[in-house]
Parts: sequence; C-alpha cells; structure tokens
Amino acid sequence: MRFLHLVLRSLLRSRRRTVLTVLSLAVSVMLVAILQSVLFTLDSFAHNPNASNRIAVRHKVSITNLIPYRYIEWLRQQPEVDAVMGLQWFGGVYQDPKNFFPNFAADPEPITRVFKEELVEYSEAQFKDFVRDRNSCIAGHALMEKYGWKVGDVITLKGTIFPMDARLTIRGTWRSRRGTDEQALYFHWKLVEERFPSLKGKIGNFWVRAKNPDDVPRLIERIDRHFADAVEPTHSETENAFQLAFLKMMGDYASMIHAITAAVLVAILIVTANTMAMAIRERATEIAVFRAMGFTGTQVLGLLMVEGLLLTVAGGGTGLLLSFGMAGAVRQTAGTFLPYLADFTIAPETLLLCAHATMVLGILSTFIPAYRAVRRPIVEGLRAL
Amino acid sequence: MKVGYFFIPLAPYLLWLVWAALRFPLPLSYNLRSLWQRKVGSLTTGLAIAVVVAIFVVVLSLSQGISKAFVSSGRADQLLVLRPNARTELNSGVERERVRILKTHPMVAQDDQGPLISAEAFVVVMLDKADGDGGTNVAVRGMEPAGVRMRPQVRMVEGRWFKPGLPEIVVPRRMQQRFAGLALGRTLAFAGQDWTVVGLTDAGGSAFESEIWADAEELMRAKKRSAFNSVIVRLQREGQMADFKAMLEEDRRLKLEGVAEVDYFAQQTEAGKPIQVLGNLITVILTLGAVFAAMNTMYASVAGRTSEIGTLRALGYRRREILASFQWEAVLLCGSGGLLGACLALAFNGIQTGTTNFQTFSDVSFAFTITPGLMLQGVAFSVLMGLLGGFLPAWRASRIPVTEAMKG
Repeated sequence: MRFLHLVLRSLLRSRRRTVLTVLSLAVSVMLVAILQSVLFTLDSFAHNPNASNRIAVRHKVSITNLIPYRYIEWLRQQPEVDAVMGLQWFGGVYQDPKNFFPNFAADPEPITRVFKEELVEYSEAQFKDFVRDRNSCIAGHALMEKYGWKVGDVITLKGTIFPMDARLTIRGTWRSRRGTDEQALYFHWKLVEERFPSLKGKIGNFWVRAKNPDDVPRLIERIDRHFADAVEPTHSETENAFQLAFLKMMGDYASMIHAITAAVLVAILIVTANTMAMAIRERATEIAVFRAMGFTGTQVLGLLMVEGLLLTVAGGGTGLLLSFGMAGAVRQTAGTFLPYLADFTIAPETLLLCAHATMVLGILSTFIPAYRAVRRPIVEGLRAL
Repeated sequence: MKVGYFFIPLAPYLLWLVWAALRFPLPLSYNLRSLWQRKVGSLTTGLAIAVVVAIFVVVLSLSQGISKAFVSSGRADQLLVLRPNARTELNSGVERERVRILKTHPMVAQDDQGPLISAEAFVVVMLDKADGDGGTNVAVRGMEPAGVRMRPQVRMVEGRWFKPGLPEIVVPRRMQQRFAGLALGRTLAFAGQDWTVVGLTDAGGSAFESEIWADAEELMRAKKRSAFNSVIVRLQREGQMADFKAMLEEDRRLKLEGVAEVDYFAQQTEAGKPIQVLGNLITVILTLGAVFAAMNTMYASVAGRTSEIGTLRALGYRRREILASFQWEAVLLCGSGGLLGACLALAFNGIQTGTTNFQTFSDVSFAFTITPGLMLQGVAFSVLMGLLGGFLPAWRASRIPVTEAMKG
C-alpha cells in the first residue's frame, strides 16, 4: 500500500499513453463481454431450469412435417403425464416483417398447466375468455407494452407459413420472470386448422408436461417407441434439447464467437505488452536509481507488475461499464430479428470471466518487459545519468 | 460495409500525401528506417492490426458468402410460379392441372429437348452432421429433366444425373464435408424409402449448393403428394416478365403468383442477417481499439525522436513535410500489418459452414471465400486505421518547436 502512490504517479506520467491504452483495452474488453454474453444468453435457452418437466414431440423427419392430432389421446393417458398441448409455430407478422415475435397456434386450455413456471401472474377470468373465444389470443406483458396493445384490442397477424390473416381479439395477458417469456402470443389452433382442409387433424408439435422431471427420460423413450411403426413416427426430446437443436440451426455461432474472443485477447495482450514495454524502457534510468537506493529487484518487479495490472484493470473495468451501456442497444437492434436476445444482459458469469481474463493479460504482458528491466545491471542504467 | 466510401472524403489528403512523398523523398526513407529501428514496437503494433484485419476479412467473407449463395442463384429471364401469398416454395402448392396449362404457354422458352419449364417438389429432411453434432434440416428438391438444364451453374463432377422414376439423388460435393453418409453409391433413408446417391455436383457457390436433387415424380410418389410446390419457367425474352406475371394472376384457370428468380433469392438473403449485423458490430468496435493502439505507438515514436525531428527542421524541412512523412510512417506500419492480416485470413479460405434459412427451415451451406478483392479491402481498411491513428501524432511531430527539439 505504501507504494500505491508511486505506482499511480508512474501510470500518470504519460497521461496520453495511459488513456489511449485504457481506451483501446476498454473497447476490446467491451466486445469480448458482449460476444460472450450473447453466447451465454443463447445457451441459457437450452438450459432453462423451468423446462425440466417438459417434452417436445415432433415429426421424426423434420419440424416442417405435421403429426396427427389424435396422438394426443394416447399421450394424455400415460400415467406420468400431467398435461399435453398441441402447439404450432405460426410465424405470423404484425404489420411489418420487422416486427418479429414468436406466435403460436395452440390448444388454449392446457397452456396454463404446461407453462406453469412461465405464466407467473395472470387473471383466470381473462384466460377463460380466451378459451371461450375462438378468434382471440393472449399476449405476454412485454409484447403488449412494445406495441401499445390493450386487452380488448383487435390485431391482425399476417401468416407467412400459412397463407391466411388471423384477426384476433386480445383477451388476456401474463407476466413472467424472464422478459423473453413475455414476448410470445398464443391463439387457437382450430382457427388455422379450419381454414385449410390439408391441415385437418394435424399439428406441428405436442408439448408434454410430465408430473415429475425424473420420469422425463423414460417417457421420451416410450413415446418414440410407441409411434415408431406409425406412418408418421415421432421424435421426442426435452424442451431444452429442442431449443438447442433450434439454436444449432443458426450455425456454429459458438465456435465463431470463441475464435473471435481468442483473437481479440491476443490483440489485447500485444497492445498492452507494447505499452508496458514503452513505459518501462523510458524508465531504465529511474529503475536503476531505485535499485541503487536499495529497492530489491523483486520489489521493483512487483511495482511494475502492479502498474501493469492497474492499467489492464482500468481498461477492463471501463470496457465492462461500456458493455453495460451497450447491452440496451444490443437488445434493441438484435432483439428485433432474434427474439432470443430480447432479454440480453451482461451476465455475472461473463463479468467474472472478463475480469479474470484482463488480469491474466495484465500480468502476462508486463512480466517480460519488467523482468528484463530488473535484470539489467544497475550500472548500465545509471550510465545515462 | 464498403471500405471504399471512407476514402472519398479523405481523397484530397491522400493525394497530397502521395505528392509530398514524391516531392520530398528523404524524410520518407528516414521514417521507413526508423520503423525498422523500433522493431519490437512496430512489430507488436503491426501484429495487433493484423489480428483485427484478419477478423475483418473473415467476417466480411462470411457475409459475402451468404449473399453470394443467393444472389448468384437466380437468372433474370426465369421466374418461380407459386401459390398466391406463399412467399416460399415450402409453403406453396401448384396442382398438376395448372402445370399442364403452363407447359403449353407460348411465352415459355424452348430448347432442343422441349419447353424450359420444370414443376418441382420441395421437402425438408433431417440429415446427420458429419461432426456427429446432431442433425439439421436439409432441402430436397424434386425436379423434371428441364430443371437440370435450366440451372447450368450446377455441374455434374462425378457420377451421373438421377433417372426419372428411380429413387436416386444427386448431392452437391461440398455438402459431403458437412453431412454424414453422402458418398457416391451410399443410400439415404427419407420420405419412407431409400435413395441412392448417384452423382456429385458443383453448384458454384449458389443456393443450390445446399440442396439435394431428385426426380420430382419419384419424390412426390414417396411423399404421397399430388400437388407440386412450385414451377420454374424460363421466358423467351427477359422483357416478358411483367406480362407473364399478369397472365398468371388473371388467368382464371391458374390464379398463381410469379416471382422473378432473382427477386426470390434476394429476399432470402435475410438468412444471413444475424451474421452480418454481428460482423459489422465486431468490426466497428475492433477498429476503434486498433486506432487507439496505433495512435499510442505513433505518439511514442514521435516522443522518442524529438531531437531528430528538430534536426530535420533545422535542415530546412518544413512542418507539412514532417507531417506527411510521419503520416506515411503510420500508414506503412498499419498497411503492412493489414497485409499480414489479410494473408492470415487466407487460412480460413474454403472452410465450409452453414446457417439455416428460417423461411424454408432448411440449411444453407456456404464457404468462407477469401477473394483478392476482400483481401484488398482488408488492406485498405488498415490504411484507413493508419490515417486515423497516425494523424494526431504526425500533427504533433510537425508542431514541435525547433529550439525545444534541439535542446532534447
């Protein structure tokens, strides 16, 4: 602590250099923090602890194939099953293709049971109205706020997959723990089914809720075995696995983000090492004077290392602060075409990761120039005096 | 992001720099040598710039790869006939009766083997990835013989085309890298039967690089379908496009919608949107970081050479000549870093990857293609960083008073 003042003074010795290095570090750390948070946010969809009871059943061939709706009878009869709902991704557009949010045509009654954990706060009366009115829908609170909808409003969803316009009265809304769970809209599958003779008696997926999470693996196996020889075989997986498969379809974004993170960290290392080398080279005489005054080599090395560490921590800290500022912008821009990012925040895990990474970088980048400076004979350094 | 646009406002300054370099060659060679003198500093800055430029070029190649896949797929004289409002082939349906009417239409082009029109079936199947990391949805297109002739960009490289009436498929050679079990002679099970791979194609980076092709009738029989998904038509002349579209909508027997092939594919480039936005974000942020780093190095370099600058001034070199020469030093430093970065990016050339076109729920394969044009953009980008990062330090160098400089 005694020497903190000294370290600070040396850092401020060339203010411009310190500021430029801190800024350069800050923007790089900000990038790493944002990218890693994107990864973290996406991953959290495939690791939703609330989904442990739920199984997604789809056609074995692909998610674009429909399965017979009558399968629901057999599913309901299974002793481990709590509730089953038919669910179809409608992919409708509200006013403009840019206004993208997940909307589903589904069985209305079981929604509150299947998604018990997600629908935290809602009015029974509103949901009863929704079940009764075939031309109605329910929308999450965040979605209602985004478009300024009120219960009772009539909205039109333009179908992109199904060539129809769904005119829907909003009958109710709900609140959830996570913002992303409030982004969805559900309406009656019957409304779609009735429009197209080819869809009669079919649906895209079943969402099955098991009474106990421990039953899930066994149930998955039994469902697929039961329908294996049917004309339309099924493929069942946990909701988390289903989400993961969906995310994987976007491409190998994880490798890309990791590769960029690694490259940026290397660049930061080089930049910081360069700054510290410059700062230390300039001070060759000063270091020699310190040593001559009785500072040991280890002490001087320690001082320089603390200086490097402070520099990177200042840069990293600024970067993390900036990334918090940017999180809102990412939510706004990326969230519109990738609803997964509607809830984007800088996760504490990412913060910790970035903080550690910058500290390690600080130590690594300072050690070599500092060690070399300390090992130089004192006389050589004093010669310049 | 086109780097070139950034140079337009800077053009007069650049011209002046070139002129200054030609007019006063001495300070420039002095700067070059001092870059060499400060090897470690120059090298580290150059490396940092190289990393940034490499990322820039790779990200650019990625988003270009996606755009190219769609843009190079369409022909101006061909159009896709869909059910009204279907938007994509997957959601569309065209009955046999309508196909028959279309086939005899006088506007349809002919070649020596008959009319250039192909009724097609489009289905999506799940294929296992080659890396064992689960499966993804792949498009299978059933077509009539004319369909093959209408897409000359797809060449057969090994084996032969599928025969009508047989469960045979041809697959793009590039898809083999990403999916398991696509070797010549192997069979693939989907739509309730086994399909034999009889040919490998090269689709020249177009969207067809992501499609498995089969005979339309055979695919429809297997899927128990009676209607096709779409019809692709080549017109005799490009100018007939509007007339043909109007005819499709007005003819009461048809009631269909026509989309120019070029427009259809352009609309699908949306699939690359997330990657492009991410890429732009990364590039902007990294550039800022790199400019700061370059500025730092140049300031240090100027500060370390105060007395040398003073000497140059005393010898009669004017302020603007000093400015130009230091600016050149920064540009060369960043430019050589950029060159290195562009070469590093080459390591990614040819790697196959994919994303999903969420409009058709099927995989889009594309390759990182590091073209000379992209590398040039990377270098131009680094020069831009040199200009931005070097200007303030160079300005400072030119403002150092002679007397003070000589004192040091």
